[in-house]
Amino acid sequence: MRPSQILLKSGRSAWKGPYFIPFKNLRDALVNHESMKTQARGCTILPNFVGVRFSVHNGRDYIPVLVTQDMVGHKLGEFAVTKKRFTFRATKK
Amino acid sequence: MVHILGINLPDNQVARFALTSIYGVGHHTAHRLCARLQVHDRCKVKDLSPFQVTALASFLSSPATAPPLPRYPLAKPDYVPPPPTTPLSELQAAFQASQKIKKIKNSDPLKNLKIESELRREIRENIAHQRMIGSYVGRRHAMHLPVRGQNTQTNAKTARKLNRLDRH
Repeated sequence: MRPSQILLKSGRSAWKGPYFIPFKNLRDALVNHESMKTQARGCTILPNFVGVRFSVHNGRDYIPVLVTQDMVGHKLGEFAVTKKRFTFRATKK
Repeated sequence: MVHILGINLPDNQVARFALTSIYGVGHHTAHRLCARLQVHDRCKVKDLSPFQVTALASFLSSPATAPPLPRYPLAKPDYVPPPPTTPLSELQAAFQASQKIKKIKNSDPLKNLKIESELRREIRENIAHQRMIGSYVGRRHAMHLPVRGQNTQTNAKTARKLNRLDRH
């Protein structure tokens, strides 16, 4: 029915295209294996991000994310967990 | 009782609603299927002709490779028929040429229909993909928790029941 919606799995309008940030030193990061520090969790992973190491902000610190081919089309934030798992504290101070 | 792909459709149900007992066929798809086989809206399962039952079974066994429906468009208001002296072969050639153009235009929405084990496999593969790349959705599936930000302090019962890596 709507072929563009297959490409863009989110509900975003087709004419806008995917949301992404133009990272300036992406090529340097790819060559030097440096990690790209970013807070853009909503940025869509594009095919030219493959192989780049990102450090994605989760609200407190930066989580290392190595982009692989299968991640294309997902968002960077999906790979940096924001919630801490609940555990009971063993002893009370 | 009518058996289609190992599923039995109860005799006394309306065909359109009985078809929804197939996994992956909802009300809309069932209605489209009935329209395809020329089953009227109030037709019960016991009133289906043997031809319709076999046609339904053969369509559902492989929707992608099913032969397309023949479409014979009506004449337009400004249509002028060719003079009666034109030979039959010319008319046939013109008809077949028009059919070829139509085939590209009309894509059958039921062609992409996935039901039963095929659909279940697709769902399982999607979850496995999410888990493999380590996204949030995949993690939540592995933890048997809701995926889309629902509350988990109470309830979350559907997620506990359904959200797992080997879903079906």
